[in-house]
Order: sequence, then C-alpha cells, then structure tokens
Amino acid sequence: MNGGRLLYWLKDFWSEFRKVKSGLVGLAFLLLFLLSVVLEPLLIPFPETNKRWSDITYWDENPRSAPPFWTNWFTGKKSAVTERIRSFKAEERQSDGVTLRNLTFPYEDSFEYPPYDLIVHFSGKGSVPFLVALQRPDGEALELIRAQADLTEGEDFHVSVDKEARDAVMEYVRSKESEEAMSRLNRSALVPTEMIFAEAGPGMAAKPIALKGNYRVIVTLMILPDAEVKDPFLVVSGRVSGILGTDSSKRDIWSGIVAGVKWALLIGLLTAFVSVSVGVVYGIMSAYLGGWKDSLMQRIFELFISVPLLPILIVMSAVFKPSIWTIIVMMCAFFWVRPVKTVRSMALQIKEETYIEASRALGAGSGRIIFRHMVPLLIPYAFAVMALDVPSAVVYEATVSLIGLGDATIVTWGQILRGALTGGAVLGGLWWWVVPPGIMIALMGMTFAFVGFAMDKILHPKLRTR
Amino acid sequence: MGSVLEVRNLRLYYHTGKGAVRAVDDVSFSLAEGETLGLVGESGCGKTTMGLALLKMPTPPGRIEGGSILIDGRDIVPLGETAVRRTVRWVKISMVFQGAMNCLTPVYTVGRQMLETLRNHKTMARDEAERIIAMYLGLVGLSPETVRRYPHELSGGMKQRVVIAMALFLEPRIVILDEPTTALDVIVQAQIINLLKELKRSLKLSFLFITHDLATEAEVADRILVMYAGRVAEIGTNQQIFGGGSGHPYTRRLLAATPRIHEKVSELSFIPGAPPDLLDPPTGCRFHVRCPEVMDRCRTEMPPLVQVEDGHASACWRCVHG
Amino acid sequence: MAERDLLVVKDLKKWFPVRRSLGQWMAGTERPAVRAVDGVSFEIRKQEIFGLVGESGCGKTTTGKLVMKLLEPSSGTLEFDGMDVTRVTAEELARYRRNVQMIFQDPYASMNPRFKIREVLDEPLSIHKVGADGRERADRIARALSEVKLTPVEEYLDRFPHMLSGGQRQRVATARTLILSPHLLVADEPVSMIDLSTRAEILHMMKDVQRDLGLSYLYITHDLSTARYFTDRLAVMYLGRIVEIGRPDDVIGAPRHPYTRALIAAVCEPVPGKVSTCREIPIKGEIPSAADIPPGCRFHPRCVFAGPECAQEPGPELTEVGADHGAACKRLSEI
Repeated sequence: MNGGRLLYWLKDFWSEFRKVKSGLVGLAFLLLFLLSVVLEPLLIPFPETNKRWSDITYWDENPRSAPPFWTNWFTGKKSAVTERIRSFKAEERQSDGVTLRNLTFPYEDSFEYPPYDLIVHFSGKGSVPFLVALQRPDGEALELIRAQADLTEGEDFHVSVDKEARDAVMEYVRSKESEEAMSRLNRSALVPTEMIFAEAGPGMAAKPIALKGNYRVIVTLMILPDAEVKDPFLVVSGRVSGILGTDSSKRDIWSGIVAGVKWALLIGLLTAFVSVSVGVVYGIMSAYLGGWKDSLMQRIFELFISVPLLPILIVMSAVFKPSIWTIIVMMCAFFWVRPVKTVRSMALQIKEETYIEASRALGAGSGRIIFRHMVPLLIPYAFAVMALDVPSAVVYEATVSLIGLGDATIVTWGQILRGALTGGAVLGGLWWWVVPPGIMIALMGMTFAFVGFAMDKILHPKLRTR
Repeated sequence: MGSVLEVRNLRLYYHTGKGAVRAVDDVSFSLAEGETLGLVGESGCGKTTMGLALLKMPTPPGRIEGGSILIDGRDIVPLGETAVRRTVRWVKISMVFQGAMNCLTPVYTVGRQMLETLRNHKTMARDEAERIIAMYLGLVGLSPETVRRYPHELSGGMKQRVVIAMALFLEPRIVILDEPTTALDVIVQAQIINLLKELKRSLKLSFLFITHDLATEAEVADRILVMYAGRVAEIGTNQQIFGGGSGHPYTRRLLAATPRIHEKVSELSFIPGAPPDLLDPPTGCRFHVRCPEVMDRCRTEMPPLVQVEDGHASACWRCVHG
Repeated sequence: MAERDLLVVKDLKKWFPVRRSLGQWMAGTERPAVRAVDGVSFEIRKQEIFGLVGESGCGKTTTGKLVMKLLEPSSGTLEFDGMDVTRVTAEELARYRRNVQMIFQDPYASMNPRFKIREVLDEPLSIHKVGADGRERADRIARALSEVKLTPVEEYLDRFPHMLSGGQRQRVATARTLILSPHLLVADEPVSMIDLSTRAEILHMMKDVQRDLGLSYLYITHDLSTARYFTDRLAVMYLGRIVEIGRPDDVIGAPRHPYTRALIAAVCEPVPGKVSTCREIPIKGEIPSAADIPPGCRFHPRCVFAGPECAQEPGPELTEVGADHGAACKRLSEI
C-alpha cells in the first residue's frame, strides 16, 4: 500500500468515522489511555510503582487500607489526608562552626480524625543530631524525638513519630491525665498522633477529641562542620490517602491503576495484532487454495476452536513460570481462530471477482493475489476484529492473574484484583481496592468495543469499497 | 379514440447531496390505445426514470417536480400514495422492470408468487385466482404446470414470460416494459418479441417499450421517442425514424452506430464523447457538445420541439432553420 | 498446421462433473457431466480476428478460458505457434501468459477498484519482471495508454477505475493486455456492457490496435451483428460444438446450418416496416441442458429440417460447403 493511496483512504475513512458518535467516544477514551501512559511519571505520586509494587518498604509511609482522600467530602467528620509538606521556614544560627538550623513545617489540622503518623525526611552526609518538636495551636509545645541521624551520601533518612515518639508522648499524656486513667492506659495501644493532635486534658487518653488548628512541626538540626543536610520534607501519613486510597499493603492504588494502563494496552494490542494477522492470512489462504488444502486447514481450525483457552492457560501457567510474555504467546496461539470463518467466507467471494481472474490471466501467482489483492480488502475488517479482541485479552490476563497464575512481577489490573481478593478487600469493605480495577477493565473493553463497532459499521464486509 | 396515456411537461429530479440531477426534464408525449411507443436512448438518458415516474414510483431521492400524467384522462401526479396503489398501479398501468426475471424469489414456487401478487391487488377466491393464472400462463406460451416450478428451474425466456404474465393478469390498459429482452439470447428475444406483438393484438394493450437497442425498437414500436440527457430529442413513427429521413442529428448518428447483420459495413461510426452530467447540463441544446452539425445558436439556446412533418417532431435548431 | 496458424485447437473438450446422488452411485450409472465444450476444433491465423459466436451456454466463454489456460481441458490439444501447450510447466505457462492475454466483459469488475490506473497497468510488468527500472516501466505504461488513445497519459495514471467511463475502462483493460506485447488477445464480450454510441468507438480502437501491432483476436460474443462487422472469420457454436465456420459474408450472408439460419432470422434490424408482422424463426423448443445432450446431431430436436438420420450416432462432422466455409449437418444437400 503506497502512501498516497493510504492517505486517500484514511481521509475517506475519517469522514465516515466522525459520523459515528460511539466511535468518537471510544476514540476519546483511547486517547486518554494513551496520554496516561505517556504522562505516567507526572500522574502518579510514586514513580517506582512498576518495579516496587511488591516491595513493602517503598510503601511504608502510606496508611494501611486507607480510603481515597475525596471520601472526606462525603463525611461529616473529616479524616486527615496524607500529605507531603515540602515548604518550610528555615532559620540558621551559627556558633563555633556549628550550624543550628531550625526548619518549621506548617501543618493545618482541620480534621476530626488526626493523621496516623508524621515522618521527617532529609538526606546529606555526616552525623547530625536533631530534635523534632510540635507546636500546638493551644500554645503548648512538646518535644517528640531527640536522636542522631547518621547520614550516608545519596540515601534518604527518615524518622517516624509513631515509632520513635512513643515515650515522649506518654510523658505528655501523663502530665495531662489523671492517675487513674494512666493506670488503665495500655502503652502499646497508644497512638501517639491521636494524642498530640488532641485537646489536652483529662479524658484524652480514652477519648481524644481532635484539636483543630495550625500546628508547626519544628525540626532542629545541629550540623557540624563536615556534615551536610539537604532536601528536608515532612510526610503526614493521613487516614485517607491518594486518589484511590491504599490497600492492605499500604500501596497507593491510583499508582497501581495508572501503571497498569500500559500493561493492559500492551497485552491487548499485541495479542490482538498478532492473532488477527495470523487469522486473516490463514482464512484467506484457506479460501484461496481451496480443495483438500482448504478442508485440512478448516479441520485444524476446528481443532483449535474447540479447545477452551482458560484451562489451557491455567495449566500452562502452572507448569511454566508465569511471565507476561508466556501469557501473551498462549493467548495468541488461541485467539487467531476468531476471524478465520468470516474472513474465509469473504475471501471466497472475493476469489470469484473478475479482477482476480484477470490477475491470474496476467500470470499472477497465488502469493501475489493473496497479498496484493485480497489482504488489502480485508484489512478494514481485520482492524475491527482487532479492536474487539483487545478487551478479551485484557480480561483473560486478569482472570489468570486472579487465580494467582499471572506475572507477579508487573502491575496489572488483574494483579490488583488478585491482591484485593487475597487481602480480604471485599469482606473488609475496602471498595476502593476492588472497584477501580474492575471499572478500568470494563472501560478499556468499552473503549475498544466502541471503536471496533464503529469501524465495523463503516468497514463491514463491503467487498466493493469505492 | 383519445390517448390512453398523456404526459405533459413532466419533470423528475433526483435531489442528491450535490444538487438536483435532472433525470427527466420537460418531457411530453401521448400513447394511443393498442399502440406501442418505443422509448429509446442510451444509459443515463432518463428512460428508466420515465417508466418509474409513470407508476409514481421514483427511486428516492427522486421526486416529480412538475407536469402531469394523465391516464384515461385522469391526472395521477396529485394523487396520494394509497390512491395510486389502489386505483392506478397494476390496475391501470403495470411494469415489467429491468431484470425482473431475476427478481423472482427463489424460495417460493412460481405459482405461489403469482398468487400472492394477484390476491394483493384483488380480493378473490383462491380457485378463481388460479384459473386466471393458468389462463395468462397459457397466453404467454407456458404450460399451466409451470406454477409448480421454482424460478431456478426455468430458463431465462420462461422467467421473462412469467413476469410478463404477472404484469398482465390484472388487465391494465398500459404495460411498461424496461429492457425486457436485453438479457436474453437472440432466439428467445425474438420469441418474446413475437409474443408481445401477439398480446398487443389480442388484448388491445398499449405498450411503452423502453430499450437502448434501436434494432429491437424498430421491430416492436409503432412510434418512437428518442430521449437524450433527460429531454426529448425526437419523436416520430417507425417509418419516419427508421426510414432514413430522421430529423435529429443524434438519432441519425445513433442509427449509424448500430451494426446491421444484413449489410456489410466497412466502417461503423460512433459518437465521440459521453452523455452529459445531469447535475449540470450544458447550456443550450444538451447534445451540442457532441453534435457534428452544431451551430452557434445550439450552444446558447435550448431548441424547442418543432414539427418536421405530420406526427414527426424534432428538438433541433437545424429543423427550424434548415 | 499451416505456417500462418497462430493457435490451433483440436478436439478440445471440457466436462464439468456433476454430483451424483447415493442411489445413482450405487446403481453404477455413468457419472453425468456438464459438457460445456464437447469437441471443438479451429485455427486462428496470424493477424486475424476470429469470432466465436453463440447463445449463452454454448460453451464459447469456456472455450475462451481454455485458450487462456485458466481452465485445464478434459481432453484435446492446444497448439500455440507450433508448440503443444496442452500441458505446460509453470515456466512455460508464464511464457504463454505473455503471449496470450484476455479482455473481460465487465470493464469495472476486471480491475481491482482500489488500484490506481498506474498500478493496474504496472501489475503485468511486475508479475513478469519486465522493465529494468521504474523509468522503463513508466515508458511502457505510457506507450500502452497512447496505443488505446487515452491521452494525455498523465491525466489517467492517478485515477481510480470508478472515475472513468465504461469505454475508458475498457481501453485501460486493453492497454493492460498490450503492455506485455502479446500475440493473441482473447476478448470475451468486450463491448456488451458499453453504451451503443461508444461501442463502435471501442471496436474501432481494437481494430486499430490489431493492425498496428499485428495481433490476432479471439472475439467471443453473442451479438451476430458486431461479429459480422468486426471479424475476419467466425465460428458458430451450439451446445459445446461448432456447427458452422467460415468468413462472415459466407456464414452470415449465406448460412448453411439450420441453427445459424435460425439465429440470423431472429436478429432484429433498425429498419422500418417490421412492426405489424411476427418474425418467422425456423426453430423449435428450448435449449436442452448441457448435462443431457441429445444423441446424434445435438441440434436435431429443435431443427425444422431434421430427418431420421439426425438422431442417430455418430453426430455430424464439419463438412466443407464452400471455400473456407464448413457446416456440421447431415442433411446439407437437402436444405
């Protein structure tokens, strides 16, 4: 197909496609998907999602099983939202070559339910003693952590209030509570952040009431001459987190979903393209060669089509180490049969066309007739079939992943669903874990179905396309 | 006896996205009882459209724009669809469509299809209908046994006879035939033509015989109307048109381009160019671009239909000026 | 075989087997076949236009396809330029294709509607690997288009078939056959789907081409009138066999075979005065099926001159009735 003819055909096709509304909707969604793949680094807050989906430490700062941040809009009592606070006021004082740096992070707590944790991050080199204190809106200040950071170049240092400030908070509570309440208090059940963000006074240990207002987290660093501190920021680990919440392993689900787009597209498009290409050529050859060769090819086709794909996939995945490429190859090996019957009947009709006979009269061989005359006529139909095959492939992969036989090294929507299943998401009411991947699979299916139907409508077996 | 069909200034245009295709553009003629009028012209001249117009069945997006069609004195153009279906179509005027013999449904017997058509138009008892069918099959030269056959079991000629019988059995006054013999073999064609002549005589029917083949027209038509690009080029009797005194250059050239079997023709003439685009026909006479006798007036003014002799008219400026 | 013969067809047969029911198979009845071509012999001389005329089902198109080697004969021989080409290797077939080409009836259907004219004409060159480079191929294409009078050439090269008229398409189809410089063109009803006024133009062009390039044509048609005008010699076929063969003036002017006579009697002419009378056609009945051919002379059930010997085997052979004029009838002297 030369360029000029392709362009003419594309223009013609586009003017028809524009008229089919569902096709345009599908196309819009497809563009959105593609855009999300391209802009992935910008869209997801956790850039190494792909590689570190199974790495617990990467997700440590997120709250566990936290709903999405926008659920706050629908509740009366608001929960603290996970934030990263990078803005601070810095003050420095020098004395005897030692720099005393004060970093003040403002934090507005307007929530009924305070954050789970406050985590201070910084990096640099050297040994840096530091102090983390909290300035409350009621004027009280308390020291949370006093420790020393041994920094290595290139590595991030972080300290968590929930883990390290337990004793300091206990003291603070003791200073406010009655003897009786303190004796009933279980030290390990204490949630430090609940205390430090609560109204000070008796009863705070048992039933803390949130103290809303402007807080300041002050980090004081003693930087010796050969030490260095840079990139400080504060992570507030809220009770609600992210666009789609977190799962029981603290993973940000939005990141997982967005990261899964490219896998879905890859699986879908690659499987569809390879299998349809094979299927179309197979169908045409079967029709053109005719006679016993046609019969043989049809018998082979019937063999493949009567084999159920899913059990085979399961067996193969159980036997071989499941990798996404094995799954794709298996799917291709069975998806190719889909267009064969229709393509064959279309090809049988084309075979009878006078210009095919004319080509033979000119001396054309089977190869030329099949690939120069018949295949171009079937390419439009092939595209329509491809479009409809994409969601099938995505669902198959999701199904395989769901059973646990998918490729665990990558993030696919099927993998997320698997996590939800084993992580007790349904019983735990963690709807934000279960629903999004399902919706995405459906959306991708809808997108390609719309595009495919629109294409089919325009390009359906018209043998005399002008 | 007045004319059984009279067409006056009929115009039928197809309203496509690109504009109005003037398929029939101001055509007038009359058809007497027991007469065969031949409508002849090349593809795209509007003759099939003309036939469909007479049944008030223009193919969409066609519409009758103006003029009148009088059947037995009654103008059918202003009539509504129901009235036309009940009182005109197949009752007064019927049609054998182009390629009709291939439109017989392959899944029903011939008899069943004829029965269905007949009883759709006239309520009658089944045996009465069967009697009529048997009679008309005999009239077209087929055995009554034909009712039990399927269309694929019949030859082309037999199928055409069935279709003709179906056009006749409601006893219309006028039968339009659109290329009834074109797809048939030579001998069968001659036999069908003989049949039509016989029917014309015995049933006193009027035929409108549409074809592009001048030779066939000469065989069947009492009078001939030559159409070109949606308009009447010439109209006259069989003798006048074919007798050598033809009044219109187009007709003359068309005759010269028709090969004859009984003459040794050394050079067959042709008309260069092609019929005009009816979306945007040329100004003046529509034939002037291809006409060997074109004058200046032809390029700008449309020639009217002028009488050349009694019963013979031609739309050509040469007939006015000489 | 004379030096001047380009193509010689001897006793060519093509039978298409028909399915038998289980009962018939068990009864051991001979398998019926549609005898489309049942023993046809003729020669086409160099630089000659040879016509094959007959009604539908007579086997003329099948004969054309046999000559084109689009079908394999059931029996008989085919000789081209002195060489037996009945059975050929793939290489010989490729060479044959360069020498014998075909023009089809439907000018639109014979070209891929998605190919531009340039690609349509390039295809034969590409198949046979003719033309060392793009320039040479473009030259050949241009020359072929000028030969069929489609000029200026640039105006047509980038068009699609549906942008051309029927006559123009048929010219392109002709150009496509000429591009390989063949010696024989098989033309199957080349003008029957074209307007009357353009028909003569196309035939005119084809005659010019024939004269310029010294080609021979096998002109297949059902239209006797154009056959008379166009051909140098012609043969009339009925039910798979030739019944009469000779020059147009003889075969059409003074036909000897009853079938030829019936055919000619049936043809209409654009002359006045025929309306009131019914045409007398000397023939009976309908064409029988080619699977069930009458014994003896296959025309005898329909022949108005048939006698008792006509129904007996063997059927009549072509007998000479004049100079270069033959007819296959047992009762030639009586009619």
